[in-house]
Amino acid sequence: MRVWLYLGIAICLVGTGAVLYGAMPSSQDARIVRSENPEDGKVIGGAFVSDYFNLSYRLSDELTEGLAGPPPSQSGYYVLGTWTPKRDFAGAVLVVAQDMLFAPDSSDDVKNVVAEFRQVMAAVDGMTIDREPAPVSVGGHPGYRIDFSGVGLFRSMFAIEIRCHVVTFNLTSRDRESLAGLVRSLDNLDSVRKEDISNPVPQCLRDYASENSVRRVEPDGVGAKAASIPVRMIVATDGSVKHVHVIRASAAQRRNIEEAVRQWKFKPYVKQGHPVEFETGVMFNLKPTNM
Amino acid sequence: METIKLARTRTLAGLAAMLLGSAAWSGTALAQDASNPTASAATANTNATNANADANAVPANAAARGQNNNSTSASSRAPTDPGVRGGDPGAGGALPGLNDVERQYFDVAKDVFQEVDAGPDGLGPRFNLDSCSGCHSQPTIGGTSPATNPQVAVATVMGAKNVIPSFITANGPIREARFVRNRDGSPDGGVHSLFVITGRSDAPGCNIAQPNFAAELARNNVVFRIPTPVFGLGLVENISDGALEASLAANAQQKRALGISGRFNRNGNDGTIARFGWKAQNKSLLLFSGEAYNVEMGITNELFQNERESDPACQFKVTPNDSTPLVSENTASPSASFQNDIDLFAAFMRFSAPPTPASAPAAPVAQATGASNVAAGQTTGTATGASTTSNSAPTSSAASTSSTASTAPSAASTTMASAAADVSSVMTAAAGSSAAQPSSSASSDASITRGNQVFSNVGCQACHTKTFTTEKSPLTGQSNVTLQPLSDFALHEMGAGLADGVSQGSANGNEFRTAPLWGVGQRIFFLHDGRTKDLHEAIQQHASRGSEANAVINNYNLLSRDDKQALINYLRSL
Repeated sequence: MRVWLYLGIAICLVGTGAVLYGAMPSSQDARIVRSENPEDGKVIGGAFVSDYFNLSYRLSDELTEGLAGPPPSQSGYYVLGTWTPKRDFAGAVLVVAQDMLFAPDSSDDVKNVVAEFRQVMAAVDGMTIDREPAPVSVGGHPGYRIDFSGVGLFRSMFAIEIRCHVVTFNLTSRDRESLAGLVRSLDNLDSVRKEDISNPVPQCLRDYASENSVRRVEPDGVGAKAASIPVRMIVATDGSVKHVHVIRASAAQRRNIEEAVRQWKFKPYVKQGHPVEFETGVMFNLKPTNM
Repeated sequence: METIKLARTRTLAGLAAMLLGSAAWSGTALAQDASNPTASAATANTNATNANADANAVPANAAARGQNNNSTSASSRAPTDPGVRGGDPGAGGALPGLNDVERQYFDVAKDVFQEVDAGPDGLGPRFNLDSCSGCHSQPTIGGTSPATNPQVAVATVMGAKNVIPSFITANGPIREARFVRNRDGSPDGGVHSLFVITGRSDAPGCNIAQPNFAAELARNNVVFRIPTPVFGLGLVENISDGALEASLAANAQQKRALGISGRFNRNGNDGTIARFGWKAQNKSLLLFSGEAYNVEMGITNELFQNERESDPACQFKVTPNDSTPLVSENTASPSASFQNDIDLFAAFMRFSAPPTPASAPAAPVAQATGASNVAAGQTTGTATGASTTSNSAPTSSAASTSSTASTAPSAASTTMASAAADVSSVMTAAAGSSAAQPSSSASSDASITRGNQVFSNVGCQACHTKTFTTEKSPLTGQSNVTLQPLSDFALHEMGAGLADGVSQGSANGNEFRTAPLWGVGQRIFFLHDGRTKDLHEAIQQHASRGSEANAVINNYNLLSRDDKQALINYLRSL
């Protein structure tokens, strides 16, 4: 079995180039191909693969890719993908993620997010809550499911939390039977790679930057526009910034912020006696330079 | 705990599937290319040009919009837009509750808003029309593009020899034209006025030429905007930034489940939220007035002092053309007698009443704070003795042939009681719209009530339904007024199909402000470039690659035909 896995990886890398990502059980390969940005998920060979979230959603023959969503938002919100049944337009699957480091609301975990969602949907005129929020496991992640319906639309939302993001699978159909089919499609969720002790996923830390930075260089030349720009960064075990992800900004703002943040230095984050890699976020509230 | 089955053994299948990865990458790359501003602009232009040939036709350029095949089956069940409703718009007059001095001021401002300017007034040398009210006239003064386009007539008035560009037609929308890029490829985005005063009897010696629109159209370099209605904008101007921010953050979980985010266009000088114009590019009504006076009519003013076309042979008045009078102009309002035009334009908008829906009951006068039963488009306020509606809906009980709302709440039905006759009257009183057609799904109060419910359920209200309350106002009776403009006044990514490639302030080429829907029942042309007269088509155009509205439109497409019709009927009742 393992032999076949490695053979598959080798063929894959040759066929698609080293920048692709996919099912990567080896730490060495994972180091080469790991993507650090949530929006980098792609449909590859019939499966939606997000290396960042370590999710693979194998698309059944019944589903086809829908219209691409908008770019990442100023509040760290991502539309990861949309799929619809091929033959009859009976429903849709929408997968989104909200970076909880930049969420404009106060919900701080997936249970509260679903509870708040339930409250909002129940208040919509004509909407019925068909299944109260209840714990589920989706693709190996614990989360919550809620079902609701109104004006002939039957919907389910599955919410899980990964790397300080709430990832939701929003299923909509015009009948309960089709909805059940879409729910079953979530059986096709899997991990892209197995947990790798030697190359772990960075620890997600909230509010670390404000108290633990050793060196901080402010970006300059942001132009005449006021802007709030969310930035994620991955910090190495020595406290240096190894990756900067400017989630939404103009090209000039992006360039200047990346250049500045790469010079930042943090106190290493120590876990169980050892410094570990971590990721955290900073919201740059930039004022116009001509004020 | 329910468990969604894991299929870890599918790793091998995933690996095998990756062998086909190259093809997937190619497809993705194509999709990304199509979302770049240039490509988007070309797409928008194509759609808009097609719409010009028949503004009521469905552009159906699904491939250009990235529409998937699934919408085909939905469109076969397309509802019918009954067209512009009849009845009193409730707008066009002054805000209820103003005192006599304020009303006098408004009346003078409204007169100035309707003045037709000529060469001696400073018109041009380049312009799109010669009065404010010419563009803002449907369904009444202060509205938007009328059924008959006045740009056709103004092209040759007073001996002018302007060639009418192909995208301007007698029964099409009033349009301004913007070029996406300059000849050297750098971003343009500015308005290029359609007409010149050359040849007019009031502009002797002026000899400048129109832009070569045919050449720019051939380069797919022209995008369009139609006039926005200005009713009720004083109330909008008086919403605090904090209220707008809270509104955008509200119901965040529901918006996220629909792919919706949004952000504000903020003023570059003070960082506060700009809220007027198709891209919320204008901070204030005064700025809006000054900019339009110069850009649309070519009349310089105290905000925009310099001529955009400075050929000295074409200047027939001192600059700025409009300035504050130091001697009374002896109008009916002593206050207005010392105001320049742009102040009065802004005052007309600021003092103007918002539209009221056909479905609105006689508006109760109430302390607005905490009011929860405000009908869409309706305002309530502290204006003692004032009614916010002037619902003169016909009492005819004609039509009402369709009712899909067996589950509609009775209370809501009551509030919609007058809508049936009003919307049905569209069939005979279409207010100049060629879109009004008899329909087997003619509106009923139940259908409109159901449509209101559909509007909320599919997610339209995530961006379009917002209740706001004004701050303390210097105008009588306008403090703490609740209004429902049906907009969050935020920018949203609207996808390649609507993108115009024009950046304004923080807004990029794909972003537009949520269009306020109050009064939409009496508008003829929809979307920023007026590409359609059909509300169903306008809804469909919200979906394309990169749009925040895709999931909502998916929901819409999943509706039964009756529910789609109910939604259209509801919108036409506004």
